[in-house]
Amino acid sequence: MVSPVHIVSIGLITAFLLGLGKKSQQSILVLVLLIATAAMTMISGSWLIGIMTGSVQPTDVFTAGFKPPFAINLRMTMDEAVLTTMVNLFGFLTVIYLFDVLKNAGKHLLSIIVVFLIGLNVIVMTRDLFNLFVFLEITSIATAGLMIMIQDSKSISAGFKFLIASSVISGILLIGIIFAYSYIGNLNIDFMSNLSLIKGGSVAVFLVLSAIILESKQFPANGWALDMYESAHPAIGSALSAVSAPAVLFVIYKLMPIVPESWHSLIGLFGLITFTFSNFLATRQGNIRRMLGYSSIAQGGLMLTVVSMSTFFGNSFWFIILGFLLTNFFAKAGLFWLNGMVNSDDQNKWGVLRKRPVLFFLFGAFVVAIAGLPPFPTFFAKWEMIMQLANGNGWGWIVLILLGSIFEISFLFKWFGRVFHAEEEKINDIRTPWFKQVPVLLFGAALLATSYYFVEYLNFDVLFVMLPLLIVTVFFAIDFLPAFVKNLLLIASLTIYGYLIYPEIDGNVMQLVFMGVFLVGGILTLIPGFTQKGTRAGFYPFAAMTIFGLIMLVNPADNLTFFMGWEQMALGSYILILRGKKAERPAQQYMLFSAGGAYLMLAAFGLLLHFAGDTFFGHLNGMLPGGGVVFVLFALAFMLKAAAIGLHIWLPGAYSEAEDDATPLVSGVLINSGVLGLFWIATAFGPQQLFGYDIYQIMGWVGAITAIGGNMLAIYEEDMKRLIAYSSVGAMGYIIFALSMNSKLGLLIALYYMVLHFIYKTMLFMSAAGVIYRTKTRNMYEMGGLIKSMPWSFIVVLIGIITLAGMPPLAGFAGKWMFYNAVVMKGWYLQGTMVFFSGIVAFLYLYKLIASVFLGQLKDNHRKLKEAPFVYLLPQFIFVIAIMVLSVFPQVLLEPLATIIPDRIPGEALHWDGKLAMTSFGYWNAFSVMSVVIVMFAVIFGWLVYHSRKAQKVKQFNIVFAAERPFRPETTHVSYNMFAGYKKALGWLMTPLATRFWTGVSDWSMAIADKMRSWYTGNGQTYAMHLLLYAFVLYLLISGGKIL
Amino acid sequence: MEYLTLQNIGLVTGFLLILIGLYGALTQKNILRIIVAFTIFDAGLNLVIVALSYIKGRVAPIIDQTTGITNLSEKFVDPVPQALVLTSIVIGVGVTGVMLTFALRMFKTRQSLDINDFKETKW
Repeated sequence: MVSPVHIVSIGLITAFLLGLGKKSQQSILVLVLLIATAAMTMISGSWLIGIMTGSVQPTDVFTAGFKPPFAINLRMTMDEAVLTTMVNLFGFLTVIYLFDVLKNAGKHLLSIIVVFLIGLNVIVMTRDLFNLFVFLEITSIATAGLMIMIQDSKSISAGFKFLIASSVISGILLIGIIFAYSYIGNLNIDFMSNLSLIKGGSVAVFLVLSAIILESKQFPANGWALDMYESAHPAIGSALSAVSAPAVLFVIYKLMPIVPESWHSLIGLFGLITFTFSNFLATRQGNIRRMLGYSSIAQGGLMLTVVSMSTFFGNSFWFIILGFLLTNFFAKAGLFWLNGMVNSDDQNKWGVLRKRPVLFFLFGAFVVAIAGLPPFPTFFAKWEMIMQLANGNGWGWIVLILLGSIFEISFLFKWFGRVFHAEEEKINDIRTPWFKQVPVLLFGAALLATSYYFVEYLNFDVLFVMLPLLIVTVFFAIDFLPAFVKNLLLIASLTIYGYLIYPEIDGNVMQLVFMGVFLVGGILTLIPGFTQKGTRAGFYPFAAMTIFGLIMLVNPADNLTFFMGWEQMALGSYILILRGKKAERPAQQYMLFSAGGAYLMLAAFGLLLHFAGDTFFGHLNGMLPGGGVVFVLFALAFMLKAAAIGLHIWLPGAYSEAEDDATPLVSGVLINSGVLGLFWIATAFGPQQLFGYDIYQIMGWVGAITAIGGNMLAIYEEDMKRLIAYSSVGAMGYIIFALSMNSKLGLLIALYYMVLHFIYKTMLFMSAAGVIYRTKTRNMYEMGGLIKSMPWSFIVVLIGIITLAGMPPLAGFAGKWMFYNAVVMKGWYLQGTMVFFSGIVAFLYLYKLIASVFLGQLKDNHRKLKEAPFVYLLPQFIFVIAIMVLSVFPQVLLEPLATIIPDRIPGEALHWDGKLAMTSFGYWNAFSVMSVVIVMFAVIFGWLVYHSRKAQKVKQFNIVFAAERPFRPETTHVSYNMFAGYKKALGWLMTPLATRFWTGVSDWSMAIADKMRSWYTGNGQTYAMHLLLYAFVLYLLISGGKIL
Repeated sequence: MEYLTLQNIGLVTGFLLILIGLYGALTQKNILRIIVAFTIFDAGLNLVIVALSYIKGRVAPIIDQTTGITNLSEKFVDPVPQALVLTSIVIGVGVTGVMLTFALRMFKTRQSLDINDFKETKW
């Protein structure tokens, strides 16, 4: 094995050799540099592999022939091997990436790069404090040298600010080192463990530590670093983020043994503050490189927390730190490199990446990885970190992490959404020579491989997690195939998957029902996709991700699996929504609310760990004393997905702007994940109180208000999809209300209604998609009279709205009947009345839906319309058949559903006597209701037909004959502003309080972020002052105001 | 007078220089003056290093006829800080050189040496 000291010696020799070269031999010099960095990588890499496989023992290299502390020693263990390999591999790829720059630059630049790498290697390996100081300085000088690389006034002045900052920092460090030496008599970290015990020695420790913390760019003493990120060449930015920062953090890790135990958590807290606030400030950042700088600093803060509290995290430490470190390494470097290719800091210009599908995919993967979504390592690291903090009662810490994560998601996905939707005309062409692509591709592949190892390490269930992940991956790989092939393949794989798992869940009605909803719903909603031409690139991987994410929720082995499925489903559906033409903003809203819900859930999982150990939350048996907070957090998270009023504002936009044939999936199918969660907490947690209030009582009110509010909002909509979307809010209100009755009947209604809503909502959205597919508009007042050209769609909508309205004879009536019984049993008369009233409101919009689209006069431009394509109608009629069956034989569904509800739930159950459903209040027979209604309908219909046989048909021009002249279609069409009268009377109820509230939240946070970031004045001296202040505050907090 | 040893004078002067240097670096507007302030800062640091290792009545760690070769550890001051200070001086010179390079470049781009003229990156 080659001694690690040769990493340094090779570097030094190369630097001298390069100095001897001539300008004319520049290409050869670059080659020399490339070989040197490759050799350095190979040395550190061989140590890494050797130590990992156990074939080599970790070692110390003694220089000058003496043992420490009399000479400097370099250490090579697993830690150093990982970091030096990262540094050198990065150096190697940077040389490739900068090939064109290096070929034309002078030889000095090449030497600077080598020196920069040597510096970082020694910083990582050395155990000697003064040696550390020397190489920190060498690295600083090299960094400053690299900053001159671009002849741009911005990078020059940023480099100068950096020099000021690093001079101040190194001053602090040097004083600390000297005092450490004068107290302990040597300079070796391993011989300093007593330093802080000596009087005055802890001041020395403090000075050294605070200097390194400042060097790691902690908020808010990091203006100089931000300016560097913004102005440096992207290759340098990536070096700062991917290798400099980790090397400095490793120094802190090395120092921790000599730092008094009592300081650890304070330093950790400072790191966390950096994470939260840097991400917060990044939300207002338009300049990409500066934004990436904020993000890098935030990640550095998070890693500082983990590093400084390594003893707290114990066995999980390696898992957590590697998760953050590697993700940040690959993804940040990749993003900076992409920045170099796009060559613009304007988000709009980044749209050019769409022309390079592989790069675009990697861009997305990097963004998602940094945001901490599955299956990337940060996701698991964050989970583990939260769980450990929860174990140690670090609630405030968890709040900071989750807040920071929300901000992180906010700016990352705003960026991603912009890139996805940037207008073509604003895009220049992109130049992607091979040497720029190779590093990005390699790091992308490495990121995916790392993710694979993390998933593999966690030993997930093969059938319920690994297989779905594999299928999703395959769909990414085959994305070049034509759309119909992929559609067929996805439907086939879902079917086969269902076949495979059926034996596993057979007998578990709950899982069967939800699996049925997600799987069958997934398959049926995919069928209309057969009309798509071309490849429909990017749709199927994410559709698969969404559906399989949902499937993971049904039979999770533990909380992590559930959460992973949840996040996967959120990510997949986000992309499906984002694909809509005008969906940039709605998708962003959807992502933010999803993430908000997910992080509430994560906090709940942390609390749950505290209360109940690591039991899966759905398997608690009604016992969670004092778990009111957990319950509320879970309930909020699930009600966010189920769009309870106040938390619903993302829904109409997200549902209506998604691609028309994708809407049924992201609405009718996906919304049930919220119901699934709510059902689980309702059955598993038992009655819960918060501050003495019965939570179910409150949820009941929320449900009732949601039911009314959603329906009220629906009646004034002119947009067909938005109308149906708002009706979903109303339906979820019913379900939340029913669940919170917390009785056997209530839960049964919730489940029954969930299935029913899934069927009719999916059906209605599909039918709407068919209509929109033909008419090319979503405005209902531009339609009318479509019953003649689209009779089948009309029938579907008719059936759908009768079911929705809960009118006999269709299946919805069963729900309503049970509802009566449950409300009377529970005694919730006021809330119950509200829910019934909301049903009446529903009639209004349902009438509007069917009347203005299908009845009335046909528009001129619609005269040649055809019926919706067969593939649209097919799934709709499958749903229609399901409704018909349920309407006649509701017991087919209701009886099994009742078995899911645990016996401990109070209240009377529904009894069956053949076809007769009974409670103590009465009975109902679906079959006879259906028969009676059919007979009545037939009689009245016949009578009408008979009497109107001589009636004259009103045609389009009759209105002109009546001496009126249609002015604009909007003014004559009955469905335009149809319920103006109601609006006048009840409009005040619809004050968009929720929208106003959330807009306010967003405006305020933006204003605060803007105010806060003006702290970074751009003046190097101010930044230096920040550094001193930071050290001072840190000192005060550590010492508690006393002299150390 | 007991505090007025050479070591203490050195230490006090050193820290005074450090403070003067810092003050200058934080308040001067001219970039060249800032650089000069940092060299004062460096000088202070180096003086502190030397002063800390000074022991009264001892000599520099160089063996010659006056020191003999026995009991050297009782005759010499600590040699390590002396070595450190050399390194530190060299590094200080290096950093100053780089700073001056930047100053030159900055002047070339803006025809100005006022640090307030170089705030284009902020927030």
